[in-house]
Amino acid sequence: MGAPAIEARGLVKSFDGKEAVRGIDIAVPEGSIYGILGPNGAGKTTTLRMLLGIIEPDSGTRTLLGHERPLEAAKIVGYLPEERGLYPAMTAKEAIAFMGALRGLPLDIGRKRGEILLRQNGLADYVDKPIKTLSKGMAQTIQLFGTIVHKPKLVVLDEPFSGLDAINQGRLESLIRDEAAAGTTIIFSTHVIHHAERLCERIAIIAGGRIRFEGLVSAARDRLRPQVRLKARNAEGGWRGALPADAREANGFWQFELPKEGIEPLLKGLMDGGAGIEELSIERPGLHDAFVAIAGEAAAREMADGVGAEFGKAA
Amino acid sequence: MMGLLEAAWVIARRDFLATVYSRTFVIFLMMPLLLFGVAFAAGQAGERADQEARQAQVALVVDSQTVAALQQARDALVAGTSELNFPRLSVVAPAEHPDTQAQALLADDSGAYSAVVTGTLDHPVLTGPAKIDDYIGRRMALILDEARARAALAGAHIALPPTQFRRVLTAEAAGNLHSVRHFMARSAQVIIFTITLLLATMMVTNLIEEKSNKVIEVLAASVPLDSVFFGKLVAWLGVSLLGITLWAGVLATLYLFTQVLTQWVSLPVAPAIGWPIFILLTLLYFTSNFMLLGAVFLSVGAQASNVKEIQTVSMPITMMQVMFLLLAGTTISATGGALFWTAFIFPLSSPLSMIALAVQSETLWPHLVALVWQFLWVAIFVRVAAIMFRQTVMKSGGKVSLFTAFRAKA
Repeated sequence: MGAPAIEARGLVKSFDGKEAVRGIDIAVPEGSIYGILGPNGAGKTTTLRMLLGIIEPDSGTRTLLGHERPLEAAKIVGYLPEERGLYPAMTAKEAIAFMGALRGLPLDIGRKRGEILLRQNGLADYVDKPIKTLSKGMAQTIQLFGTIVHKPKLVVLDEPFSGLDAINQGRLESLIRDEAAAGTTIIFSTHVIHHAERLCERIAIIAGGRIRFEGLVSAARDRLRPQVRLKARNAEGGWRGALPADAREANGFWQFELPKEGIEPLLKGLMDGGAGIEELSIERPGLHDAFVAIAGEAAAREMADGVGAEFGKAA
Repeated sequence: MMGLLEAAWVIARRDFLATVYSRTFVIFLMMPLLLFGVAFAAGQAGERADQEARQAQVALVVDSQTVAALQQARDALVAGTSELNFPRLSVVAPAEHPDTQAQALLADDSGAYSAVVTGTLDHPVLTGPAKIDDYIGRRMALILDEARARAALAGAHIALPPTQFRRVLTAEAAGNLHSVRHFMARSAQVIIFTITLLLATMMVTNLIEEKSNKVIEVLAASVPLDSVFFGKLVAWLGVSLLGITLWAGVLATLYLFTQVLTQWVSLPVAPAIGWPIFILLTLLYFTSNFMLLGAVFLSVGAQASNVKEIQTVSMPITMMQVMFLLLAGTTISATGGALFWTAFIFPLSSPLSMIALAVQSETLWPHLVALVWQFLWVAIFVRVAAIMFRQTVMKSGGKVSLFTAFRAKA
């Protein structure tokens, strides 16, 4: 793991007396793809905005690429806000160049790079089209290009996949991987777990304004024991004593968590007890299962439903 | 961090070009024509209607010779002043009893006579209520005096030639200069005030559009809000200066054109400080006034979430600015006192007061002091506007003290 591109300690933020973020600690390694997961209203956007210096925390500290004042790193940071913002009358190329110029990139270079990005992504016909004539997804893509046109060291994306169709979501995943491969640190928030599962090395799970988990995706999954699925030829026998107490049967299959002792003692017990193993599989839990275990069923349900605004109050 | 000015320049350039290439700019260019056109037309129409309504009608129930004498006398008096300065004379054929006829004419609603003249030039009778004495009575007396004088001169065979002055020319008359400069000072104040108010409102509308476009989030994440506000002020200042240059160009061309047509080329009366410095000071005071008021509008107007709300929040500021205009207006006539000095010192009235001073006084150094003073307040206002925006609109609740507000911040 490299030095942290972002490090935050004890970030707290309240709006109108209500705590939206209640002490966030995050360390995003340089060059990694880092996901912030949580239902709507969990505090993801507020956290990102504090990390970027758009809003000041009530308490806590943060450094962005080594800068205690985030705007000092503005030239090497790219940010795609959750609520996309572009000037409707600007052309696609000019919009990309303008966003680069805000980050210190000369306009003429921004225009050239913007045109290249558009052409490389099959949008050559839209180079000089005003934003107001583009679809929402396309405008979002333009803004994403504006976020990376100045070749930042850190890219912060707030819900980048929302509003994109499946094809564009795939393109965005590729783009994130390409940027990371080029050494850029990527941090993005999402309430769709499978994007994080596919892209991230590390994640933070936020619910109710608190970090519920921070670490490797594999570590999150390791919070749950692997699931064993067993089909035995013999319905009864001494092998049943080898099953853990919480094992349950459904449709002829036994399901239970792999015991802490591992697979070998289990196999020995089954075989010695005469189970007659017909099928046996061990499945590693997915991130969704880990999320449910970490953040709770309610948060997971809200993630799935996309309605979690009230969660923060309940948590 | 990008430099404050570098970031402000990026914002300013975008806003300037976006505005100049938009319909807003065309409307802005047309605005003075529309405003002055409507005001002029309304004023003209209203004044004419008022004057016509006010101009009294007097019935002449006299013989034809007296009618001719009175009408000639009136024409002679009107030629030197205005038709509207004297009552209209209507001839009514005399009846058997002129006094009774006069009473009947005044009682007749359809006649609309304010008074009736009967009798002769030497023994005229004016019939009407007492309240006509000041206006109609005095003017009819002037007409009768003129008619009688003309008749007397004609009787004595005396022909008076029109008066011919022997002219002694001077460069200027102090009384005339004072009067013209008084008008010029007032006009300069009103023009700066009007354009500033117009532009400040347009600028805030533009900011609200950015809030609704969510562009402001992108800007706030990239550059300090001070730069955003300063950039916007500079952009709209540029827009206004471009507009003013175009208007001035058109006016100068029209002025020269009329001068050439009349084969007489001259500059209008110069302000006390001289035209070149006055033009420079006008631009500088317009700049400071615009940036001061613009910063106030930005800080308060940015709290609004739509154009309708802007109108609500702008109203008190506009009213206050009108009061500052009136305050600045006191410096044109007064020469001292608390109000006089307050108008010069208070930041929001200082530019307007100082431009009036430039018209009336040739001393330069107060302008240098005033400009430093005003631009110091521009910096303070922009900083406060950015803090207010961050605190209330961006909901960023960092603690702000007088010290932290003005130290260098990222």
